[in-house]
Amino acid sequence: MTRYMLLRLADAIPTIWLVLTLVFIAMRILPGDPAIAALGDAALPEQLADFRAKMGLDVPLWQQYFNFLYGTLSLDFGKSYMNGTPVLSLIARNLPYTIELTIAAMIIGVVVGIPLGVMAAVNRDKLPDTGVRIFSLVGYAIPDFYLGALFLIVFALNLGWFPINGAGDGFLDRVHHIILPAVTLALVKAAFIGRLTRTSLLEVLGRDYIRTARAKGAREPRVIYRHGLRNALLPLTTGLGLSLLATLSGSVAIELVFNRPGIGRMLIQSMTERDYGVIQGGVVVLALLVVLINLLMDLVYIVVDPRIRVK
Amino acid sequence: MSLKRREFLELAAAATALSAVGIRTANAQSADVIRIGIAANGPRTSDPNFTTQGSDNWATEQMYEQLVRPEDGDFATTPDKYVPTLATEWKSSSDAKTWNFKLRQGVQFHKGYGEMTSEDVVFSYKRAIADGTNKTIMSNVADVVAKGPYEVEITLKTPDVNLLGTTIFSNNTAIVSKKAFDKIGAEKFMTDAVGTGPYELTRFDPQWGEAMKRHEGYWGTKAKIASVECVFIADTTARTLALLSGNVDMIEAVRAPGWVDSMLQRDPTLQFDMTQPGSFNTLHINLNRKPFDNIKVRQAVMYAIDRHAVANALKPMGGFMAGLQPDFFPAGFKTEALPAGLQYKYDPAKAKALLAEAGFPNGLDFDSNCSQREDYSSTMLIVQEQLRAVGLRMNLKIGDHTAYHADNRSDKNTLAMHSSSYPPIPTQLYFQQLSSKSEVKSDGKGGGNYSHYGTTIPGIDPLLDQALQATDYKTYLDACQKIELQVLRDLPLIGLSTLAFTVARNKRVNLGYPVKSGYARWRFHRATKTA
Repeated sequence: MTRYMLLRLADAIPTIWLVLTLVFIAMRILPGDPAIAALGDAALPEQLADFRAKMGLDVPLWQQYFNFLYGTLSLDFGKSYMNGTPVLSLIARNLPYTIELTIAAMIIGVVVGIPLGVMAAVNRDKLPDTGVRIFSLVGYAIPDFYLGALFLIVFALNLGWFPINGAGDGFLDRVHHIILPAVTLALVKAAFIGRLTRTSLLEVLGRDYIRTARAKGAREPRVIYRHGLRNALLPLTTGLGLSLLATLSGSVAIELVFNRPGIGRMLIQSMTERDYGVIQGGVVVLALLVVLINLLMDLVYIVVDPRIRVK
Repeated sequence: MSLKRREFLELAAAATALSAVGIRTANAQSADVIRIGIAANGPRTSDPNFTTQGSDNWATEQMYEQLVRPEDGDFATTPDKYVPTLATEWKSSSDAKTWNFKLRQGVQFHKGYGEMTSEDVVFSYKRAIADGTNKTIMSNVADVVAKGPYEVEITLKTPDVNLLGTTIFSNNTAIVSKKAFDKIGAEKFMTDAVGTGPYELTRFDPQWGEAMKRHEGYWGTKAKIASVECVFIADTTARTLALLSGNVDMIEAVRAPGWVDSMLQRDPTLQFDMTQPGSFNTLHINLNRKPFDNIKVRQAVMYAIDRHAVANALKPMGGFMAGLQPDFFPAGFKTEALPAGLQYKYDPAKAKALLAEAGFPNGLDFDSNCSQREDYSSTMLIVQEQLRAVGLRMNLKIGDHTAYHADNRSDKNTLAMHSSSYPPIPTQLYFQQLSSKSEVKSDGKGGGNYSHYGTTIPGIDPLLDQALQATDYKTYLDACQKIELQVLRDLPLIGLSTLAFTVARNKRVNLGYPVKSGYARWRFHRATKTA
């Protein structure tokens, strides 16, 4: 197992290197000058030159690239051009908020989505199935930033049940702050997971061993949950992995709408400010998270389907 | 324990009622805190000598002070309108090159850092000269020396009759504590600077914002409200909802047509504070791009743009400029006061005739870049339509704001809109946007004179030198007015409109004074708030 994990991690190295290189190149191709973004368009030419020298932007591109790679290997992404804060400390400050939002949204999405999918599958072409299909369609169609704004207006502005922005201080306050953004993200997830569960379960419910189980007199819940859902988990696991990655990236819009700290908001801010170090550091962390989630999914496959371990 | 149906319903009703009680509490605020929603992602620094982001000035305005200031909510349009602040009196030599300031005694720094003396003033100025963000304003300062504990002398390289406006009342020349700097260290000082203002910093969070509490040792009348919080909310919807829900008391406005009306529709009780003139929206005509080197084409552009319509579209934030300054600013003209040939009243027929005379009877096509930021894009879309009406077909490429400025700085634009805030010191705009020393360069190492005025055709350099060398205010003003007329004759730069900085305010908060003019920041020390 350890060897397998190490091999998978080694596989990820070229991917991460490619991501790093692409981000580096993309940032340099993108028009816009970090010095002007930091000092303002009224800055004197000599002030801009001073700034570029201070930030290492005056050396040739290849040298900047190797400095960046060396910095990444030693986990030093430099400092933010805007406020001088070390990039690593910015990431450390923001990442927990993005992770807690992603996890909360995934939990709600799974808790709502899987039962909905099961309900739709066992009531195929009946009213509950139609309801779930409509819910899925609406969930897919509504952009999360719009849904977020709608929820803010109804539940935070008009009803006043939830805070309008921020992430809160202390455990209970943080839970209070996370509910609305997590539910916004989760509804879209639930639509996806519900649809996926329905499809997977319907496929499994048509198999011979399900018929055998029913013929042996097994009770319907046992047939559905023990024999059906368990075997439908493999495609569902793949879907959940993809959904987790989508939630991670989807949190960008939600962090902006709800004015929550997080990696997404940090990246958007640094993009507008051409804060190369922060962008590069943020993308490296996201790339690592994607690799880790994929690895996690591989491990879950082994747990869910022992045949994979044998292979 | 079993629960009967009736008991369950009773419990549910009670729970709903309790939720309803809490309806307005999730976003409710204390009457002893003023919270403003700032239109940016996060604060960069709290050190006034190093601010690079205008939004940071909301907090620095509360915490730091200069030797002199204008009245709250106003600009000092002439030097005699400044009021004593950390200096109680001042005088300049007859050549306007040596200035003496007597300091107020007993002024206490925040956090127990003791009394402000000339040592702190010299330290703050020298720091701003050596490393400060705005070296431009400090470049004329030859030296700053202490003349005893409560007096400083500032000597200049060239005369400056406007020193109070150009240098003394600047965010970057706010006075900070030398003792605190020595103790805290340069790096920490960036987010924990110590000043003398009515509020002192208690929290600096690069994501959330800044919190301040009343400075109990303040030399003047102490702030009425105990705390101020500057909360950074970049997203417009989130910021608007924060104001409407009562989560914040004020927000920075979206400076786009119709925004004020749309806010009033949501809440007719909202108050709007606006500083006139706010930003100066100017339009550079690149004299190196044909056919804009032809004065007749530039005049056609000027006659084609209905500048009153541009200002009206931005109402109530928009304002009109006959030249490059609003008429209530020094050197500003009213249209009627200008010579008839320089009034440029909107006249599309004349614009078409001028184009025909220039050899373009069927008009012409050209490309221009524009920033997607709402104040830029809304103004330039109006200009595009007005130019189209006379046959000047401008293909407007709207893109990212940072990229737009980088492109302008690399001489890649034809008609380049620029938006900047200026105090009532006309030479600042002239130097930055018209002087040959500020000419734009294709390698990005030039300045903000995107029209190449003064190099492609003779410009205003001699007049600008005259103004900058003036030893009395009248000579300064005369030279500035000549510059205004010269620019209207040559048309390298058009004053499109002014655009007020605007804050939407909950009526519970009373600022204690009317906001009429000034920079995009004002103080809250006189404010009161009802629960």
